[in-house]
Amino acid sequence: MYELAKKALRLAEKAGAEEAEIYYAANHSTGVNFRKDALENAKDRFSEGIGIRAIVNGAVGFASTNSAAQIESAVEVAVAEARVRESDPDWVSLPSNEKYPTVSGIFDKKVETLELEACIDYALELVEGTKEIPGTLPTSGGFTRAKGKQLILNTNGIEIEEESTAVSGFVDVITVNGQTSTAYDFGISRSLDIDFFVLGKNAAELALKSNGGIKIEPQKTDVIFHPFAFADIIEEALAPSLDADNVQKGRSGLIDKVGEDLAVPELSIYDDGLIEAGIETSASDDEGVPSQRTTLIEKGVLETYLYDSYTAGKAGVKSTGNGSRSSYTNPPSVGLRNFIIDYPQSDVIADTQSGVFVNTVIGAHTANSISGDFSVEARNAFTIKDGALDKPIKSLMISGNAFELLKQITGAGFDVRKVGGIITPSIRVSDISVIG
Amino acid sequence: MTGIMQDIKFYDCRVIEGSSTSIILDNGKIEEISRNFTREAGVRALCGGSWGYTSVEGEIDLKQGVEAASKLAFSMNANTPKEDVELAAINPPEVENLPEVRIDPRDVSIEEKVDLLKSIEASAKVKGINSTKVMYLESEFKVEYRSSDGIECAYELQNVGFAVSAVASESGVYQAGRESRFGYGYELFEKENVLELAGKAGNTAIELLKAKTPKGGEMPVILDQELAGVFAHEAVGHASEADLVLEGDSILENRIGEQIASPLVTIIDDPTLHEFGYYPFDAEGAQSKRTEIIKDGVFNSYLHSRETAAKLGGTPGNCRSQGYSMPVVRMSNTFIDNGDARFEEMLEEVKDGMYLIGSRGGQVNTGEGIFQFNAEKGYLIRNGELAELIRDVSLSGKTLEILNHVALVGNDLKMTAGRCGKAGQLVSVSDGSPHLAISKALVGGA
Repeated sequence: MYELAKKALRLAEKAGAEEAEIYYAANHSTGVNFRKDALENAKDRFSEGIGIRAIVNGAVGFASTNSAAQIESAVEVAVAEARVRESDPDWVSLPSNEKYPTVSGIFDKKVETLELEACIDYALELVEGTKEIPGTLPTSGGFTRAKGKQLILNTNGIEIEEESTAVSGFVDVITVNGQTSTAYDFGISRSLDIDFFVLGKNAAELALKSNGGIKIEPQKTDVIFHPFAFADIIEEALAPSLDADNVQKGRSGLIDKVGEDLAVPELSIYDDGLIEAGIETSASDDEGVPSQRTTLIEKGVLETYLYDSYTAGKAGVKSTGNGSRSSYTNPPSVGLRNFIIDYPQSDVIADTQSGVFVNTVIGAHTANSISGDFSVEARNAFTIKDGALDKPIKSLMISGNAFELLKQITGAGFDVRKVGGIITPSIRVSDISVIG
Repeated sequence: MTGIMQDIKFYDCRVIEGSSTSIILDNGKIEEISRNFTREAGVRALCGGSWGYTSVEGEIDLKQGVEAASKLAFSMNANTPKEDVELAAINPPEVENLPEVRIDPRDVSIEEKVDLLKSIEASAKVKGINSTKVMYLESEFKVEYRSSDGIECAYELQNVGFAVSAVASESGVYQAGRESRFGYGYELFEKENVLELAGKAGNTAIELLKAKTPKGGEMPVILDQELAGVFAHEAVGHASEADLVLEGDSILENRIGEQIASPLVTIIDDPTLHEFGYYPFDAEGAQSKRTEIIKDGVFNSYLHSRETAAKLGGTPGNCRSQGYSMPVVRMSNTFIDNGDARFEEMLEEVKDGMYLIGSRGGQVNTGEGIFQFNAEKGYLIRNGELAELIRDVSLSGKTLEILNHVALVGNDLKMTAGRCGKAGQLVSVSDGSPHLAISKALVGGA
């Protein structure tokens, strides 16, 4: 199929496309999964396909396929769809050929050539880690390694090919005695620098520490969100409002807010497609625009939204390199790159007299992405007393608003973590409403 | 390879071929028309106690697929041998009673579909609505299944549907209303009053602007059909999936035969119904069949794959996957069965509490048996009557407590189409319930 990509571009032009783009992606992943403490299966997944954007008279058509035999008809369908649509006055053009930055740390030959036996060993390390903590059992988890390749070609001269690798580990643990409590941990990286044994051990320790939870009174208090919990809330309740597409369509809580104080002055947020070894790092975005570092919030002030080439053209600005696709089956839309939360760090738990520490939340995806309102169930939560974690809390609901939250941040820990593309320390937010 | 194949006691292949079309109309403008053609296959092989799984897109050589999966299974078993996996026996399925399709969506022109979306959009855009989004989806696919047990079967299915959302804003407050319908055949758009549904989405968004956020706490509640259906699927259905039970991640482990719910509660999973979770046979070639998960409050059955049915005793038929992904135990059409209470009786029963309507999703911890769901909206119930409209309300608590606190079950069962996200896959399901009155629940608010 890789060889057919260039041919497909010519086919699209021949079929009447004024501009055309071919996005080719191939991925090979190997996963080893366990259930309880026994390895259950190994999975090999080969995926490969192309997506075609065809533009006729300022209208875009899209089709995709993973079958070489269907490429010609997919190209024709894309052009025919474009013809059905009215000309879009906001369409400017596909990205044009530009210089690409050099990025590093996203491809590791060792990951590419990792044998199944090594994958099995890493999966076993996750299980072994949990066994360090008596009274717990893993319920499920696994290790995955992946290698991807993508190629973007368009009629404006773009031709960029990139390869990348990733490994990840996940483990879910349950306690076997007393009250049931659970916990999970995961890690993802471009190369084999994760200690999977420690991941397993941490999850088991947390499950055990969470056992015997107490009930607490409804109150407003200081809440410290672990990177897992904070990333979840930010991704669901704040990030959608930074998407220029949502802004342009009236679906963002941040319309007309550029230049305004949005957060406490100590807080800055960056979207960065270039950082060394980032999970969202690459030389170009998924439509061939060079990656860049974008300052979203500088000392509390909102600087910009995130743009792909279409929304940038519509707003008359430059794309921020946020054209993103979850698969070759989708046309690009605005998506986050490495999303970095920056706040002066301290020993944040020790600095907290009383409050609550929350490791993870469930239900963040139910947040209102426009208003920023969220209501989540806190998991593995603990009371904080005199600068230390005190007692586990059985059940806790946390309600708030993502935009308010930015103005109530009063601290951050040293524990910066890559939660997928979101890179954040633990964050302390004051005056949050919790119901026990 | 021949050496390895001697140790492979089972393998199967699924080949899925199909196409899908999506059209997105955003604020009255076509944002996207996209068509996707796929051909893909998933191959499983079992060696001792280990599974190997290979999935491939595009041009597929099944023999190679079986060999690759067998190699994975073989080395897993050689590296970490464990107790053999047994598979419950099944008979070749009968493929019958497929949903009837009168109008094949492929026979309807793109222009006509776009026109339909535009009229839906216009209906949603009631006075005060700032933005709208309408999505049309259609897919047609053929599944071919073959196993080393000698089972060979195939079916073709197509489905179609739409979703509309409308957003209203006022002095910095944004609220959305959503409606969707999915089913079989383009005639869905005649059967369902789609324009009325679109208008309802618009009106909901406008109403919610004025709604208050109530004070949370413990109180009696009424759940509407959609929210109660989400509870049935998320909180009870998942906990009854035998793979989670075997993982030790279900509060329903070892509870068969026990009274775990109010005797008013019966919960059923039925893939034979022509709802969005329909299938004639599952991803292991097992005939689809109705399962009573809870019968009159007594926990009756887990949901099974061939592997879990052999381990725990039961009938296979609930092993499903998204496309060529590895199949797992999963629900189909899951619902709380009708009772006989009227809505008015429920209001009297609750007296002072809340009526929670619709769902913006939720999550569950099946191991601990706790859940949290956000309602789309609700009403305060004061003195047995519906009072002010409320928003940003959520329901949380312990699954078994809620099941026991069901005080009344309505007679107005309604199903809602959705997708289940278990194991990182998205698979068509539906869930539903009649209205339920719950004597005590934890409601989150301001």
